[in-house]
Amino acid sequence: MDFGLTETQELIRASAREFLEDRSKSDIVRAVAEGDNEAISSLWKDIVALGWPSLTISEDHGGAGMSFSDLAVLLEELGASLAPTPLVESSISSWIIERFAPDSLKSDMLPQIANGDILITPAIVEQDASWDPESTKVAATRSGSSLVITGEKRFVAFAEQATHALTLVRIDNEEPVLVAIPIWKADGFEQTPVAHASGVPVSSLTFNELEVPVGNIVATGNEAIEAVEELTAAGGVARAAQLAGLGRTVVDATVEYTANREQFGRPVGTFQAVQHHLAEMAIAAKQVNHLAYSAAWTFSQEGYSVIAAAQAKIAASDKIAELCWTAHQCHGAIGFTWEHDLHLYTRRALAWKTDYGDSAFHKSKLASAMGL
Amino acid sequence: MRFDFTPEEKDFKRQLSSFLDDVLPTDWHGPADESRDDHWTLNQDIKKGLAERGWLVMSWPKEYGGADSSPMMNTIFAEEMAYRRAPGHDRFGTRMFGPTLMRFGTEEQRKRHLGSIARGEIQWCQGYSEPNSGSDLASLQTRAIEDGNDFLVTGAKIWTSLAHRADMMFMLVRTDPEAAPHKGISLILVDMKSPGVEVLPIVNMAGVHSFNQVVFDNVRVPKSNLVGDLNDGWRAGMTVLNFERSGIDYAAWARAALEEMVDYVNSDEAAVTSAKTDSTVRIKLAELHMEVEAARLMCYDVSYRQGKGEIPSSEASMSKVAASEVYLKVLDYGVEILGMYGVLEPGSDQAELQGRFFKMRLFYTSGPILAGTNEIQKNIIAQRGLGLPRK
Repeated sequence: MDFGLTETQELIRASAREFLEDRSKSDIVRAVAEGDNEAISSLWKDIVALGWPSLTISEDHGGAGMSFSDLAVLLEELGASLAPTPLVESSISSWIIERFAPDSLKSDMLPQIANGDILITPAIVEQDASWDPESTKVAATRSGSSLVITGEKRFVAFAEQATHALTLVRIDNEEPVLVAIPIWKADGFEQTPVAHASGVPVSSLTFNELEVPVGNIVATGNEAIEAVEELTAAGGVARAAQLAGLGRTVVDATVEYTANREQFGRPVGTFQAVQHHLAEMAIAAKQVNHLAYSAAWTFSQEGYSVIAAAQAKIAASDKIAELCWTAHQCHGAIGFTWEHDLHLYTRRALAWKTDYGDSAFHKSKLASAMGL
Repeated sequence: MRFDFTPEEKDFKRQLSSFLDDVLPTDWHGPADESRDDHWTLNQDIKKGLAERGWLVMSWPKEYGGADSSPMMNTIFAEEMAYRRAPGHDRFGTRMFGPTLMRFGTEEQRKRHLGSIARGEIQWCQGYSEPNSGSDLASLQTRAIEDGNDFLVTGAKIWTSLAHRADMMFMLVRTDPEAAPHKGISLILVDMKSPGVEVLPIVNMAGVHSFNQVVFDNVRVPKSNLVGDLNDGWRAGMTVLNFERSGIDYAAWARAALEEMVDYVNSDEAAVTSAKTDSTVRIKLAELHMEVEAARLMCYDVSYRQGKGEIPSSEASMSKVAASEVYLKVLDYGVEILGMYGVLEPGSDQAELQGRFFKMRLFYTSGPILAGTNEIQKNIIAQRGLGLPRK
């Protein structure tokens, strides 16, 4: 057992903190939440320049060939600063493409994801809001060397910025296919933004007889189902790492506030009622951190683990949301205002709680893995 | 970053597990009740077996018969023992008193006591709490008055686990009633067979005689049994609590109980036929599985930090709170799943799992209370860990 970071990971953490301190300040987070897409593009451009989208892509395909644990260290910092940027979407998609796509597609797409020419985001969920790949309905038919796709995907993050959507469809209402659909200025495609608590762009995607070359197919049949299950698990671990960082920031901010806010002639943080709230918050943040890193490490070793992913995402979803609500209680009235930043964290925590499988979804997966 | 044991650690865990396979009765479910003679005999046998294999005090330095094993190795030892609900661990002698004596005892005291602990021969108990001094331990009133070469000890200790089986007690006594509470306390060693020592059993709410009140009436204790300087016992006494405050036992007990429940729910027992197909049961058991793992990682983190030479005081408190609470959640749910069978007392013919879950739930009500209540632990986390002001 080694809970410490490697030298490389220490470097990743330090450089991420330095960069995000300046580039993910609360005025930027707020601007993005209010629809400033320019701010997203500018941040993403700098992130691409830092090489972050290439982190876990293999060196053969133009990436840095680093591990899922290394990615988790970076994601913790992104979560801690609420960075409004599609790094999870891009990294998880490239992770799945690397593990499932045919060589030709890998050599075509991965170097372009690494250098920022392609920005790809997962489009899995439909109207029923389910992460179970079996519930997919978006239809595809074969036509020569193309798939023709019709239907609607929902809750797709950063679709406004993305060039591609990693989409699960069904051919002839039967065979599931995971395909990387070029959506940038595509014909037969429409994206409709929804007002979403995450504070980053989330849209519904409508495909109307959109044509995609079959060369863009990542996986077919059972492999497509497995790929989406892995995508959900990996996305869950990634979100857990972000939520661990988010929780850490909220604990620190609440300590800072309660240690300085005075009532009855003393800091409110001297009262046991407040101290015990904070002790519980600190325990929760630590547990989520351990489970997220433990899962990321397991992914680094074994590529995939239902149990580790479920443990991390369940804990992150439930404990960090609760931690945020407790932080509001500790902040009193000021934490209830629009002006105070705390609700930005709470909104993000609640949004992240729902994606890549919510707590109930992962509990069901975990129960099956436990033999229940 | 590595979330796995080393080959050496895995190998040790296997050896310990196979030793326990041999020495525990085939139908052993525990937990041990040391007031029962058969369980006490088992305790002694296992303790001797552990001593013979060099495991009982492996955490100690080599010069005292230990193996200088790492904190992680010690955690693996404690975890496996607790996971099997095996008796014979002797936490008072090996984990608390021994290390304290190494640090504060005289050469003569070390020679006299450490060997017998390492060989598993002498049972120690801990005399700290008093009827009027619980969380506020420094208010303790048991008096030791100097009388020639001896102390005369008068007062009472309470909640003393295993006092009814112990040969010796390490205890905190007041030697200077005029000084500030922390400044007038000394640590002394008392032979439990001394005239004037009376052990009064206390039966806990689970119906088990696990702890006692120990009354001292002018008990004569030689001054050579003073550990550390006179009136400097608080420092030594607190060292013990650092050894005491780990959550790993609870985390391991919780994992064992959860696995037992999962097996039971998957079985063909009539009492759980409806639970098996109930999705709320699946969801709840999965949640507990996550909670147990989270608590376990907290405990490993403490050992990892200790291995690096840190004194992870706040982390240790976090692990104790998290693990003792999750254990009760697991037991609560075990009782709940058994429905009307869940409240049958052990010994009842119709009791499922021998009424074990109900009994353990009652017994481990003590978890968040003993060794520093969880409220005290949260104060430590907030003040020492998070740096919140005390005043």
